[in-house]
Amino acid sequence: MRVSVEINGRPYERDVEPRTLLSDFVRHDCGLTGTHVGCEHGVCGACTVQLDGVPVRSCLLLAVQADGRSVRTVEGLEWGPLQEAFHAHHGLQCGFCTPGILITVDALRGQALDDAQIRDALAGNLCRCTGYVQIVEAVKEALNA
Amino acid sequence: MPRREDERVLRGQAQYLDDVHLDGMLHVAFVRSPFPRARIGGIAKPDGVFVLTAADLGPEVRGLPTQTLPGIELADAAHPVLARDEARYVGQAVAAVVAVSRAEAEDAAELVEVDWEPLDAVVDPRAAPEWLYRYSGSGGDVEGGFARAEHTIRQSFSIPRIVTSPIETHGAIAAPRPDGGLTVWASAQGRDRTRDQLRHALGRDDVEVVVPDVGGAFGSKGAIAPEYAATALCAAALGRPVKWTEDRLENFLAAYQGRGLEADVELAVDGEGRFLAIRARLYADAGAYLYPTTPTPGQTTANLLCGCYAIPACAVEVYGARTTKVPVGPSRGAGRPEAALLVEGMVEEAGRQLGRDPVELRRRNFVREFPHRTPLGYVYDSGDFERCLDRALELVRPERSRDGERLVGTGIGCYVERAGGMWETASVAREDGRVVVTAGSSPHGQGHATTFAQIAADELGVPAEQVEVRFEGGGIGTFASRSVAMAGSAVALACRKLLAEGGDSATVRFESDMVFSSGCYAAVVEVERATGRLTILRIAAVDDCGRVVNPLLAEGQVYGGTAYGLGECLVEEARTDEWGNPLATSFASYHLLTAAEIPPVEPAFVETPSPLNPLGAKGIGEGGSIGVLPAIANAVGDACGRKIDPPFGAEKLWEAIR
Repeated sequence: MRVSVEINGRPYERDVEPRTLLSDFVRHDCGLTGTHVGCEHGVCGACTVQLDGVPVRSCLLLAVQADGRSVRTVEGLEWGPLQEAFHAHHGLQCGFCTPGILITVDALRGQALDDAQIRDALAGNLCRCTGYVQIVEAVKEALNA
Repeated sequence: MPRREDERVLRGQAQYLDDVHLDGMLHVAFVRSPFPRARIGGIAKPDGVFVLTAADLGPEVRGLPTQTLPGIELADAAHPVLARDEARYVGQAVAAVVAVSRAEAEDAAELVEVDWEPLDAVVDPRAAPEWLYRYSGSGGDVEGGFARAEHTIRQSFSIPRIVTSPIETHGAIAAPRPDGGLTVWASAQGRDRTRDQLRHALGRDDVEVVVPDVGGAFGSKGAIAPEYAATALCAAALGRPVKWTEDRLENFLAAYQGRGLEADVELAVDGEGRFLAIRARLYADAGAYLYPTTPTPGQTTANLLCGCYAIPACAVEVYGARTTKVPVGPSRGAGRPEAALLVEGMVEEAGRQLGRDPVELRRRNFVREFPHRTPLGYVYDSGDFERCLDRALELVRPERSRDGERLVGTGIGCYVERAGGMWETASVAREDGRVVVTAGSSPHGQGHATTFAQIAADELGVPAEQVEVRFEGGGIGTFASRSVAMAGSAVALACRKLLAEGGDSATVRFESDMVFSSGCYAAVVEVERATGRLTILRIAAVDDCGRVVNPLLAEGQVYGGTAYGLGECLVEEARTDEWGNPLATSFASYHLLTAAEIPPVEPAFVETPSPLNPLGAKGIGEGGSIGVLPAIANAVGDACGRKIDPPFGAEKLWEAIR
C-alpha cells in the first residue's frame, strides 16, 4: 500500500505491506533509526514518537494509520534545554530508551509539574540503566528552564 | 564531569545492532520448542525456503564453549547451536529460517513441522536428578566450629530467577567477507570474548567481530546467544549478510536468566555472639545447558558466603541442578546479591533467635584487618566495613514499630564483592597535539570514554578535551565491575610509561588480582497490616568502590544498580508453572519498575583505596544490585518479625503477618 507521512517536516512516500508497524516504517523504510524498538507490545516506550504532536507507541500503530499525518522522532527535536539537562544530570547511560523519553518529555513543555507528576509522566518509558533518579532531575530542570 | 558520549545519543545518532543495515541483507527467524522437554522425531522443511537444522551442521560446529573454574566439575552439556534429538526448554531454537524480511522469515518458520514427543520436565532444582556443574569448597575447622558453638542458627532461603531485560535485546548480523571469512556485528559486552566464543561454536578461526553501540547488557551479553552462531552459519551457507534481532518474547524465553538459588545455611555462634563457622548447601537452578558463564554466579555466591565477617571456617557445596528451563548466567551482581542475602539473612536470624541486636552482631564480627584471606581463599584487599555501616545508619534513620495499622522495620545489608581481576591492555599515543587512548574494555552505557579520558588527562596534565578514546579490542571486556580498576589502570600506567620513556606512544598490559568493593545499604519499610502492601520509605546506599574517578557517573551506577535490585525485591520473578512452562513472557506478565515506583535513595561513598592498582579503584557497577536485596529483605523481616523470601508482594506479606 502507498503511504505518505510527513516526518520531522519532510514528506516520506513509500510502498508498505499493510501489516507494517509504524516503528518499522520509521526505522527501516525511512531510515530514521533514532527511534528504537524495545518490546513491540506497547510497554517499554522506547519506540515513542509524536503523531500530530501527541506521544504514541509507534509499535502499536500500523504505518497505514499514519498516512497523511505528521510524525516527529528524536531526529526532529531541536537541541536545547532538554538535551542539555539530560547531559548535565547524567540522565542517560546506554541511551537505548533515551529517544523515547525525550519525545515524551518534549510534549510536556510548558507544563509546571512537581516530582511526583514528573515520575508519573515518565512511567510509560522503561529504563534499565539509570534507576530514573537523574532522569527526573534532568526533566525537572528542563521543564523549569 | 558529564559524558562525552551523550550528544550523539541525544540526537538519535547512536548506532545499535538493529540500526546496522548491509546491502543484500537477509533475515532469520527461529523455530523454537513449545515444550519444556521433548524428543524431536523429525523436522519437515517447507519447499523453497532456506531452513537450517542441527542435521545440516558439519562436525566442526561444536556449540557454545564451556569454561572450567578451579574446583568446578562440569557435565558434558554445552549449549548446542540448534537442538538435535531433544529440546530441553521452552524457546530453545531447533531450526533457523531465512527470508528477505523478518516478517517473511516468521511466516516461513510457521511452515516448518517438527515431530515432537513431549517428555517429563524437571522444575525443582532440589529434586533434579542431573547436574550441570558442581562446586565445593571448605577451609578452617568447620566441624570444630559447630562443635564448640553455643548456638547453631539454621535457615533456608529461596531466591527466584530474574529476567535480565536490557531494553535493547540481543542481536547479530553475520556477513561473509571477500577473503572467505565471516564478520559478525554483535550486541555484546566485549569484542574479543565474543569472537573467541563464536570461533569455538562454529569451529572456524576466520571470524571477526564488531561491537556497535550496545543498549544495555547487565551481564546478559557476556556470552553469545546460540542464535549468533546460527545466524553466522546461515550467512556462510547463503553467501549473504543475515541479521537476527531478538524480539522481546525471544528474550523472555531463550536469553539466559539470572539468580535462581535455593539454600540451606547454618551458622555457628558462640556465647559472646562471635561467628565460629558457616556452612551451606546451595541448589542453583542452572537450567538446561551450560553457557560458558553458567557456573559463575553459583561459585561466586559460595566463595562470598562469609560476607564482611571474619568467620574462621566455612564449607559450602553447590549443586548446579540441570532443570528443563532456559539456562542461567550472570545478571548484574551475578552471585553477589545472593551471597549478601544469605549471610546478612543469617545475621538477622541470629539476632532474632538469640535476642541480640543484629547491628551489634555485625560490629562484633566484621573483618577489620586487610588484606584478609577468607577460609575459601578470597583475599579482601581493603575496606572499612564499620564506617560504611555507621554512615548508612546515620543516613537511613532507623525506625521500628509493630503497633497499629502499619508495621515499620529497618534492615541492613552489608556486602563485599569481588570485582576486577585478570588483565586489560591500553595504549596511549600523542598525535598532532592530541592524545589518543586505545582501550580493550568497551562500554555498553557506562561511559568508559569519559572516564578513561579523565584518567589520561589527570596523568598527562592535559585537558580532557584533548584526549580521544577508542575501543579496538585487546581486552577481556566489561563485566564484574572491572573497567575502571582494570582498563582504567591500564590507561593510567600507559600514560606513566609514556611520560617516563618520552616517546610518541606506550602500551601496557595490566594484570591484577581481584579487588573487593564493599558497602552497606539500609532501608526503612512499612507494611500495611490490612493488605500486606509494602512501601519502601527510604534507602541509604553507601558504597566503597575505592577511589571514585567520576562522582556523577558513579552515582549513576548506584542509582541504576539499586533500581535493578529493587525490581527483584518488589516485582521481578521469572516463574514457571509446575510443568515447566514459563509464565514470564512479556512486560505485561513480568514487570520492570517505572520512575513512579522508585523510592527515595540517598547515596554516599566511603573511599578506601585498593592497594592493587595505580588508581586505588575497585568497582561500582554492581554495588546497588547487591546491597539493596539484603537491606530490603531484612527490613521486611524486621517489620514482619520473620524471614521472608523475595519478591515481597502484598499477598505473601499479608499471609506472613495475618
